[in-house]
Amino acid sequence: MNDPMRNPFTITKASDFSDREILEFWVDFSKSRGLYHLAKPVSAMPMLILGGKGSGKTHLMRYFSYQLQRIRNKKSLVEGIKKEGYVGIYLRCEGLNANRFEGKNQSDQIWCTVFEYYMEIWLAQLLLSTVRELLDRDPAFAGKEPAICKAIGELFHTKKYRKLTGIDELLSFLTSIQRALDAAVNNCAITDKLNVNVLATRSRLIFGIPKILADQLNFFQNLQFQYLIDEIENLSSAQQKYINTLLRERSENCSFKLGAKLYGVKTYSTYSADEENKEGSEYEKLPLDETLRENPEYPRFAGKMIARRLREFGYLGDNSSETVSLEKLAKYFDVPSRSRLAETETAFVSVKYLGRERPYFQKLRKKLEAGLSGGTALGLRRRRDIEEIIAALNIPGFPLLEKVNIYLLYKEWSLGDDLKASAKKIEAEAKAYLENPLAAKRYSQILSHFKADLLAQLLRECGRKQMYLGIENFIIMSSGLPRNLLNILKHIFTWSVFNGERPFRDKISMDAQISGVMQAADWFFADANAKGADGPKVQDCISRLAELFREIRYSDKPAECSLSTFSVYLAPLSLEARHMIEVAEQYSLLIRVKRGARDRNTMRIDCKFQLNPMLAPRWDLPVARRGAIALSQIEAESIFNPSGGADFDVTKKTRVGRMTAPLFGKSRSVDKHVQGENLLFGMEE
Amino acid sequence: MIDFTIFYKNPLSPDFSWTPRYSWDVFVSAYNSSERVNRVFENVQATSKHWLVCPEYDYSDDEMPSGNYFRADGSNEAGFIRQFAKVTPIEWTKMTVCVDTTGFIRPYLLFLLRWLVEKGVDRFDAIYSEPVHYSEKETTQFSSGGVKDVRQVAGFEGIHSRDGSNNVLIIGSGYDSMLIASVAEAKDNAKKVQVLGLPSLRADMFQENLLRVELAQDYLGNDERFFAPAHDPFVTAQVINEIVDRLNAQRRITNLYLSPLATKAQVLGFGLYYLALCGKKPASIIFPVSTRYGKETSKGISRIWKYTVDLAAIRKAAAKSSRISGGWGS
Repeated sequence: MNDPMRNPFTITKASDFSDREILEFWVDFSKSRGLYHLAKPVSAMPMLILGGKGSGKTHLMRYFSYQLQRIRNKKSLVEGIKKEGYVGIYLRCEGLNANRFEGKNQSDQIWCTVFEYYMEIWLAQLLLSTVRELLDRDPAFAGKEPAICKAIGELFHTKKYRKLTGIDELLSFLTSIQRALDAAVNNCAITDKLNVNVLATRSRLIFGIPKILADQLNFFQNLQFQYLIDEIENLSSAQQKYINTLLRERSENCSFKLGAKLYGVKTYSTYSADEENKEGSEYEKLPLDETLRENPEYPRFAGKMIARRLREFGYLGDNSSETVSLEKLAKYFDVPSRSRLAETETAFVSVKYLGRERPYFQKLRKKLEAGLSGGTALGLRRRRDIEEIIAALNIPGFPLLEKVNIYLLYKEWSLGDDLKASAKKIEAEAKAYLENPLAAKRYSQILSHFKADLLAQLLRECGRKQMYLGIENFIIMSSGLPRNLLNILKHIFTWSVFNGERPFRDKISMDAQISGVMQAADWFFADANAKGADGPKVQDCISRLAELFREIRYSDKPAECSLSTFSVYLAPLSLEARHMIEVAEQYSLLIRVKRGARDRNTMRIDCKFQLNPMLAPRWDLPVARRGAIALSQIEAESIFNPSGGADFDVTKKTRVGRMTAPLFGKSRSVDKHVQGENLLFGMEE
Repeated sequence: MIDFTIFYKNPLSPDFSWTPRYSWDVFVSAYNSSERVNRVFENVQATSKHWLVCPEYDYSDDEMPSGNYFRADGSNEAGFIRQFAKVTPIEWTKMTVCVDTTGFIRPYLLFLLRWLVEKGVDRFDAIYSEPVHYSEKETTQFSSGGVKDVRQVAGFEGIHSRDGSNNVLIIGSGYDSMLIASVAEAKDNAKKVQVLGLPSLRADMFQENLLRVELAQDYLGNDERFFAPAHDPFVTAQVINEIVDRLNAQRRITNLYLSPLATKAQVLGFGLYYLALCGKKPASIIFPVSTRYGKETSKGISRIWKYTVDLAAIRKAAAKSSRISGGWGS
């Protein structure tokens, strides 16, 4: 019997998993597109696995580690590893505490040498303890152990260790070297002196030991030693340079998989004449979140991931099959029944505003009154005209269509059309649409493009929360970062239990979903914060961008539907603005749209970025990506230049002003002809 | 086994009526603009008084305090303290020393403690002044400009193990939720334990503390919580000792990380625990380093504490601890 309070989504990081859990919670795409396939564990070509926080790098890399190979190949480890073709030596750089290898009054050159030596010793220990365990009972190994140890001993620049005959002895020797190194590095802060005797230079052990093993034992002859070095963002630029050099100078039976966050690679330079490693030549890249995001199977992959968690916690019953369809999962989430005209979502309107004017008509009335008094509304001569217009746009049974009507009126108003005539035309269009949608082409098109935005406006105007509901939307919001999805579900689950529900036994209420998703959005905004001084700055930039999108979305006549994307020509921007965009992308606050956007005037291809949909609930923005705005240089500076290259309020006012009645960005003088007409015919009743 | 709670501590009145009773050869304090730092510096009796001006407070030349002050930019806590000792003629082992911990940025205080141990100082007095309240209650910003890095404090770096299967992170959680979140994230595979200040300095501060800690909860996961008095370094050290022993008895700790983010009294407690019992173990003190720290984050003085820090006893405990095998981390 499962405990209803146990939240299956509490653990959102692979680093919190045991080895067994890494295996239990592993999911993949179908074979040809699978992560296992893409990560090429047998390949001799080193790979840089790049991804945003929570894209699954650690899960993937640990899946390839010897510790997982051991669990996967329980029946026959040796045979299993032979079949898999590699041995995975996994190292998390976090455990190195690498920032102690700098400063303390020592030169960078000295630290570099000491760090390289430390890494040699550390990786050699990982490698040898793996080998010892792997071949513990292998008679071939037992026979060769003294020779192997002797050969390894000869890798050191001292004769002292050439008499070692067992791996255990060798390991304790390496451990003593490591401890002495730790002590020397630590004491350096006190004594100002760093006394280290380097007994093995760069790559001697890391490449030398696998070569000796392959020379001495048949078992290793066709195996690849994969050094899986995770979280290299924890290494300094100089330390990464050393790793890069290893990649460049690798020996034939050794390779590397490096895991890094998007901002984690500080250099591609090497100590080989300072040359840089080139993609395709020295390494290949696996951009993990992009790969997940663009894989059409991602929703299914996400569904499998959720199902696996639910099953482990006993929510799907013991007999449920491995492949729980997304449709089945979707049923656990309460969503309004789908209807073309959003009747369910808007049903509350007629109840809440019974006998009262609906807020969007109140707003329209005010705008029309302003247009009438300011002389900026063609066709309006008296107050009665306003009543006639509003009456024409009224369709009480379909609040969404009323919003379409109002949108169309604003559109025609912005073009300077006669509003009374427009209202009549719109009324006829709406009537035609209700009878036969195909007969009202413009109306259908507006509804199809702007349905989500107009519904969002309606909810906002009626004081309702935005509806971020349903597993499909949560998967879209995660945008290739599985941890984001798990976090959404974690918070939703908590809210659901808090509300007295039984999540994943019964339906999860809309209220729990909305509260949970909002909390997850806040978490993401805080979590995706950049390190150091860039952190608060980039948050301000993103807040400005989101504010602009929100103002446009909730304007009278939004120019773009489902706006969450912008394009910009980066070249003329200030360094600061470009840096902020780059940092926002590295921390997954912005997602680059691969093919960019063609500038309408110059045909130039500009960069295009989407605001991460995880942030949508913070600013009541759409989850889907459809419309995009092209930011001018001044606009981009006002948003992304923290030292205030241009005034953001001016940008916002100008942009949104063009979409706002009664002036639609025009100055009053432009509309003098309208005012003149009003005066001619006598305006007031 | 060392019992930290037998060390002496005395509450002193904020009216400074105690000053004729106590005097020292050397008084060292870290400068900031808080009343509780400046009034203590003005009132204590000492043959020589020294301000340390930590660069992270970002004081300009014309904001320097009057009297002896030492400043150095561009080095970490180890370089700063060593340089101070080099340029200041103090015979540390022959003189009576008092350190006001209140204004110190934590890594500087910790390294000074380590340095005094290394220099062979047997005993010194430490002062900690409690505020009446923090300037903006629970929303007081202690650090700003974001966390640059989470790193080990110099002198507290330990000898770590490759085995990370049961790492433990003990956080002395204060008001700064950003610091708590950063340190928890940096050691994300460690089991998290929080030590909260209870009794707190003032009755309402515990609630304020909880509100702040809640903001970092996503990073702390299913953490365990323990309590140690916010004003008492010795009980804090004892509590940490008990936590470590208890957790280690449940399952051998592979690496221990300590991160004191609360009051300076607790920072002192974390430091003493480390120096007495963690010297050659897979343990370190880690700290989320920020770009800047608030110059004035509190108002008034409600109580002053004087702690007698017996470094000879700490040294003795450290020697004994390094000889014992079979304890945690061995």
